[in-house]
Order: sequence, then structure tokens, then C-alpha cells
Amino acid sequence: MADVVNVGVNLEAFSHAINGIQALRSSVSRVFDFLKDGMKNRENLEGREKLFLTEFQDNLQAVNRDLNELERLSGLVGRPSESHPLHNSGLLSLDPVQDKTPLYSQLLQAYKWSNKVYSSSHTCSHWYVDDVISRIGRMFPDMTIELFRPNGNSAVLLVTLGKVLKAIVVMRSLFIDRTVVRGFSENIYNEDGKLDIWTKSQYQVFQKVTDHATTALLHYQLPQMPDVVVRSFMTWLRSYIKLFQSPCQRCGHFLQDGLPPTWRDFRTLEAFHDTCRM
Amino acid sequence: MGVTCVCQVPVAEGKSVQQTVDLLHKKLDQLGAVKQGSFCVDCETYHATANVGGQQSKLLYVMHNTETPLSCFALFEGGPCLKADTNFDILMVKLKSHFQNAKGYKVECRGSRYRYCDFLIKVGTVTMSSSARGISVEVEYCPCVVPGDCWNLMKEFMQSFLSSNVPELPSVFATKPEGLFAPADAIDTMTQYLEVFNKLRKLQIPGSNVR
Repeated sequence: MADVVNVGVNLEAFSHAINGIQALRSSVSRVFDFLKDGMKNRENLEGREKLFLTEFQDNLQAVNRDLNELERLSGLVGRPSESHPLHNSGLLSLDPVQDKTPLYSQLLQAYKWSNKVYSSSHTCSHWYVDDVISRIGRMFPDMTIELFRPNGNSAVLLVTLGKVLKAIVVMRSLFIDRTVVRGFSENIYNEDGKLDIWTKSQYQVFQKVTDHATTALLHYQLPQMPDVVVRSFMTWLRSYIKLFQSPCQRCGHFLQDGLPPTWRDFRTLEAFHDTCRM
Repeated sequence: MGVTCVCQVPVAEGKSVQQTVDLLHKKLDQLGAVKQGSFCVDCETYHATANVGGQQSKLLYVMHNTETPLSCFALFEGGPCLKADTNFDILMVKLKSHFQNAKGYKVECRGSRYRYCDFLIKVGTVTMSSSARGISVEVEYCPCVVPGDCWNLMKEFMQSFLSSNVPELPSVFATKPEGLFAPADAIDTMTQYLEVFNKLRKLQIPGSNVR
């Protein structure tokens, strides 16, 4: 409790305020009880009405007094600290069984850690990303990489490999987020004239290559050296320049169920059919 | 528009044209291909009437393909080719004085369209003045645009249903300025159809095997 509701709160004023609420509640109930009981017996009607009105006024004034007292006390109570890092999740800290379920403290740690990671990844400036990408683009003569920033912040790469395929690679600073691979002749723009980063290829072979590329993204991981990761991924992708020319290294055929060898080994870059890979 | 190969398939020994076509359909069904409608390629022949200094009159072929329904193709054999919209047919009527339609020479190729993975296969019966002259097979590998890249792949596919009737590399690809690695286009397909039609026009079919 002390973690969240800290020094800003005056605990004594708090308990007085709770008493004040109770007093207000009772004076309000007295008003309604009085109304329910109605007028008391007196000699004449005028006397009864006058008494009723006087008592009613007294009751309402008591309510007013209690309300003002409560407002004064609530002013004294003060505000709990505004800086809860977890907003509603901070209420988890009210769980009394802290030892068995240290959920709140773990949550706080995880949040602080992810904040650090996020802020350090943002130190990769646009200039640095552009430089890395242009150097990788010069590595292979048959592969061109164009960099776009449609949302201002994250880069989207258009990788054209010979006359075989066009791959769209969506980045998050220097980390590759996702990729879509389409045929050389397929449309890469949507109706607005912007790069279409979502539509799948209309050809089964490139749908398969997209799946393999997504697997490659998960395979080539090195958090400390993201530029090495991008370089490795591009080297792997470049092996598709002979997508239609290479037979499978295992069965020796070009086609299996109508598809050429779409799998490229992550180490040796050899071509295999999806069903032939070991 | 992928890489397309059009070839002529000989009629099977002791069978009619229709029976051979049915055999091919069966083989495609066995492979797992799915029938997707029909197609038609037609070709009309025009004689150029203007004879400049004793030159032999050239033949102009005007072709249509249901795969590109809004287009019309005009080709001189071995010469320049033109791709226009269907108004070109009306233009040819207006050019009656320069180009005469050789009405008896209209060739049509009709048949079924099959799809297998990323391949498009069209098996057609070639008819001239309503007599069946032969069978054409068109195989298109849609994802690829460079013939030199996927020729071996296409040959392997064609072998699976044409067995020994697999054609050689079409000459249209070899004779392009960049050779095998220039991208293919619709005119290459029509040129190949024209070659098949002209071959079948010259062929003498023994009477008993017609239809």
C-alpha cells in the first residue's frame, strides 16, 4: 500500500473525512425520515405547518453543514501520487497476498525494462538506418533496395531481385518486422498509389516464399547487432535469384506439386522443395 | 502475363482429334488440374493488294485471343507486329482497298482452360473452314517473366502430361535481341499460335482421321 498511496496523503484527515461522510449520510436520512413522518400534532393547522417547516429547515441546514465540513476535510486529505506507472494495473498492488503472487512487483520490473529497450532502440537514428541499408544494397549487383518512410518513422524497403521477385520489408528502426514477397510482374502499389504492404501474392510459389522469408526473419536473430541480421537476411533472400532455374538438391526435380524448390537452407543457401527439406 | 509456350500435339495413333483431346484432358485431371472455362484464338488472313514493283504480296494476319478480350493483334509473318484494341477490326474493313480478306483461310482454335498451381494449360482443337486440322497445347507459367529462367521447369511440367511430345524451345525466345532473357509478352504468344496454324494449314490430313 505504501508504494502507491505514498506521502501525499494525510491519513488522519482521511479518517476524519470518513467520519464526515457518515455524518452527512445520517443527516440526509434524517431529512427523509422527517418527511416520511409528516406533520406533528398541534392545536391548529397553522401551528402544525409552521413547526413542520421550521424543523425541515433545521434538517436541511444540518445537511449543508455536514457537506461543507466534508468538503473542508477532503481538501485536507491531499492527492495520492500522480505518477503511477501502471495506472489501473497499479491496483494489483492492493493484493494482500504479496508473497505468493508477487505480480505487481514483477509487472513494474517488466515495464521498466521494456521502457529501456524502447528508448535505446530509438537512438538508432534515421541517418544510421539509411546508411546501413544503402551499404547492404551495394553488396549485390542483381539486388536493388529502395527505402521509403510512408509513416515518417519506420522504414519500408522495396527489394527488387533481378527479374524474379519484389519483396517488401517493413522495418522497426533496424529490426525487420515483417515481409511480403511478390512476383516481378505483380502490382506493388494499392489504389492510393502507396506501396501495398499487405496484399499476398497471387501466385502460390511466392506465397510459399513469403512464408519461408517470415521463418528466416525468426531464424536470423542477434539483438546486439541488428545490421548483421539485415545483412544475413538479404544474403539469404538473394539466393532466390535462381528460383526458377534450380532443381531440388534432394530429389533432383524442378517441380513438386507444381512448385519449384522454394526453401533455401539458412546455412548453405541450397534449394529444396518444401516437402524435401530435412 | 507469364512465359507461354504453344506447341502442336500430333493426333494419337489410331485415334481421332477429339479422342486425343479427351486423352489429354484425362491426363490433366489425373495430375490434379482444375478446369476453368474455355478459350478461343482465331486468325484471319488478309492479302495486301498494293504490289510495289513486282514484290510478292504480303500476308497480314489479324488475330484475337479470349485471354486478352480487349486486344487485337496484327502480324506480318516474320515481320512487324502490332497490338491494338478491337476497333482495329473495323479499321481493316475501312482498308478494304488495301487489304483483302481471304475468307476461306480463317483459322480457329477452341478448347478448355485448365489451372494447375501457377500453370495455365489450354488444349485446343484447330479448325479451318469447320474441319478439324489438329491439336494445339498452350502452357503458361504465370509467376515468371523470363523464358530463359523457367524453360527447364516448363519442360518438366509438359513431360508429365505430353510425355514424348514435348516441344523444343520456341524460336520466338531465341531470336529476340537479348535472346532468352528478354521478358516475354502477348505478341510472343500470338506469334507461336501463328506458327502452329501455318504448319497445320500446310498439313495434309488423311481423310479417315478428320473429326
